[in-house]
Amino acid sequence: MAPKLKDTGRQRAREGSPWTGLWVVVAKEMADHLTSVRMRILEVLIVLTAAGTVYAAIRNLQETVGQDPFLLMKLFTTAQEPLPAFVGFLGFLIPLIAIALAFDSVNGEFSRRTISRILAQPIYRDALLMGKFLAGLFTLALVLTAIWLLIIGAGIVGMGVPPSGEEVARSLWFLLASVFYGGIWLALAMVFSIVFRQPATAALASIAVWLFFIVFWEILVGMVAPILRPVQFNTAEEILAQAQLELALTRLSPNTLYSEVMLALLQPTVRSVGLVLPIQLHGAILGTPLPLHQSLLLIWPQFTGLIAATILLFALGYVLFQRREIRA
Amino acid sequence: MRRLWKVFALLTLVSLLCGISVPVMAQTGESTDEPDLVLSTTYPSQVVALGESVTISLKISTEATPQVVWLDMKQIPEGWTATFRGAGKVIKAVYVEPDNSASVSLKLEPPANAASGSYEFVALARGENGEVELPLELVVEEKLPPKLAFDIDLPTLKGKPSSTFRYSATLKNEGDEEVTVNLLADAPAGFTVTFKSGGQEVSSLPMEANQSKSLSIEVRPYAELPAGDYPIVVRAQGDNAEAVLSLTATVTGEPDVSLTAPDGRLSGRAYAGEETPFKLIVRNTGSAPARAVEMSASEPTGWSVEFEPKEIDEIPAGQQVEVTAKIRPADKALAGDYMVTVYARPEDSSSESVDLRITVLTSTLWGVVGVALIAVAVGVVALAVLRFGRR
Repeated sequence: MAPKLKDTGRQRAREGSPWTGLWVVVAKEMADHLTSVRMRILEVLIVLTAAGTVYAAIRNLQETVGQDPFLLMKLFTTAQEPLPAFVGFLGFLIPLIAIALAFDSVNGEFSRRTISRILAQPIYRDALLMGKFLAGLFTLALVLTAIWLLIIGAGIVGMGVPPSGEEVARSLWFLLASVFYGGIWLALAMVFSIVFRQPATAALASIAVWLFFIVFWEILVGMVAPILRPVQFNTAEEILAQAQLELALTRLSPNTLYSEVMLALLQPTVRSVGLVLPIQLHGAILGTPLPLHQSLLLIWPQFTGLIAATILLFALGYVLFQRREIRA
Repeated sequence: MRRLWKVFALLTLVSLLCGISVPVMAQTGESTDEPDLVLSTTYPSQVVALGESVTISLKISTEATPQVVWLDMKQIPEGWTATFRGAGKVIKAVYVEPDNSASVSLKLEPPANAASGSYEFVALARGENGEVELPLELVVEEKLPPKLAFDIDLPTLKGKPSSTFRYSATLKNEGDEEVTVNLLADAPAGFTVTFKSGGQEVSSLPMEANQSKSLSIEVRPYAELPAGDYPIVVRAQGDNAEAVLSLTATVTGEPDVSLTAPDGRLSGRAYAGEETPFKLIVRNTGSAPARAVEMSASEPTGWSVEFEPKEIDEIPAGQQVEVTAKIRPADKALAGDYMVTVYARPEDSSSESVDLRITVLTSTLWGVVGVALIAVAVGVVALAVLRFGRR
C-alpha cells in the first residue's frame, strides 16, 4: 500500500506514508488501555469467569470422560450446572471488552480537546485511527491469549494430559477467530465514537447493536422468514427453502458466525454447521473427527466473514473520520 | 570167679545194646511201608494257553518226623523245564515239621515249539524214609491268534477343501487277548488325520478280547488343496496284529474369493464431486477357478462407484486380479468419513465384501473465495486511504 504521489486534479494527493507515527500511537494507546481501571475490571471479570468455568469443566471431565483425543477442546466446551461452558461466556464477554475499549476512542479525544494537539504532531489522521484500532485489537488479543494460556495450563495441571498438536492448532485458530469477533465490535464501537460526539451515546449505540444481534435478531428472523418464504402446501421444497432463508438471515449476525466457528473448531466431529439432509448422511460414519483443514474449510466462509466485516467496518470508520472537520 | 563176672558183664552189655537197637529198627521198617510225607496241590490238572508257562503251588507236610525233603521231577515231557521255588529262590530241598507244612511253587515252562495237547508230569518228594509222588497234568490249548479288523460303511467321502471328512469305522479285536492298539494314518501332504473315540481324541487305545469300538476318523484338508481324490491309509497296530483301512477323500474344488487392497489399506481420501481411483485386489484363495466374478458396491446416496473391469472372466486358483474402483462422492457430500462396501460375487460361490472407508474432503475453492473476500476488504481500506488520505 505504498502511497503514490499523484495529483488527481480534483483533490490534492497525500504526501508521505500513512504509517508514520502509527506504532507510536499503538504503543501509547496500549499503555493507556492496559493501565486503565476499565480494563482492570474487565480483565478480573474474564479471568474469574475462565477460572470458574474451567475448574468446573475439569471436575466434570475427571468424573465422566475416560479417554478422548480432544480433551483440551472439551475444556472449553464442557458445561456443568449451573455454570455455562467457557465459550458461552466468551460469546458476550468479547463484545463487552471490545466495546469498552473503543466506544470513546475518537470522541474522547474531542471532548478532552486533545485531538488537535495530537494532529499537530507529525502524525497523520490515518495513522491515528489505525493506531487506535490496532491498539484495541492488540489489547484484546493480549487478554484472550493470556486466558488461552491460562486455560491450557490449567488443563495440563488439572488433567495431567499434554495437549496434542492438533488440539493446540485448533485452539489457536479459535483464538484467532475470537480476536476478529472482538474486532467487529471494536470497529463498530469506533465507528459510533466517530459518529457521535458524546462517548455515552456511542457506548449506548454499540450496546444497542450488540443486544439487537444477541437477543432480537433471532426472533426477528423467525418472524421474517415465514413471511418471505411461506409454507403453503407443506412440501419439502418449501420447508427447505424457509429453513435456508432463516439460516442465511441468522448468519448476518456476527454472534451466529462466531458460534459456528466455535462449534466446528472445538468439536472436531461436527461435519456441517448448516442444514444437513438425511440423504447426505447416508453411509457416513458418524462420530469420527474431521481433520483440522476440513474443519477449517467448513467454517472458512464464517471465518473470513468475521475478518472481512472487521476490515470493512474499519474502512467505514476511516472514511467517516477522514471526512470529519477537525478544528483546533 | 573173676572170668565168670566178665562174661556176665559182656552179656549184659550186649543185651543192653540189643535192647536199644531193636526199637529203632522196628520203626524204620514201619515207615518204609507207609512214608510219613504228603505232597499235594489244589489243582492237579490245569488248562493253559499255548506258549504260557504255569506255576503250580505244592504243599508238603509230615505227620511225625521233622525231616529234610528232596524235591525232583520223576516224569517231565521232553523240552519242558521245571523249577521248584520257595521264597523267591530256586530250591532243591525243603525242611518240613509235623505241624508246619511247607509251600513250594513249581514252575513249568514249555519249550518254544510246544504243541497243544495233554502233558503228564510227576513230581517227586523224597524224605528220610521214603518218597511220595504227585501226578500233574497240563492241557495246553491253542489260543486264537490276535487279530484286529476294521469295519466301515462309507470309505469314500466327498467334500470341499474347507470341510472335515468324518469316517465312522468300527475297530474289532477278534483275538482272545487284550491288545493295545496304536492308530496310525498315512495321508498325503495337506491332510491332518485325527482319531476320536467317544468324543476324545486318541492315538492308542486298549482293546479287550472280542471287543469292538467305534472310531471316528476325522480328516481335515488344508484350504488350498487342489481338487482330486486322495487316498488315506489308516492302520491299527496291536502287539502282533495289524488292521489296515483304506479311505478315500474326494476333494472337490471351491473358489474362495477375497477382496483386499494392494497395500492392505482399506481407507482413502476423495474430494467431493471428484472421481478418485482406488486399487483393489480380488484374490482367489480357493482350489477351483472363480468364474465370472462380478464387482458391485453399495455406496452412499448420490455417490457413484464404477469398476474397471466390471466383471472378471476367470481367476485361476491362487491367482489375483487387480480391479480399479472409481469412487466419486456426491457433489454436496459433507466432509468426513463414509463407508463404501464393495462386493465381489463369483458365479458359483458366495460373494465376498470389504468395507472401504472414504474420507471425503471438500474443495478448497471456497477457501480461496474467502481469502478473496478479505482481499477485497483490504482493497477497500487501501482505496479509502488513497482517496481520503491527508485531507
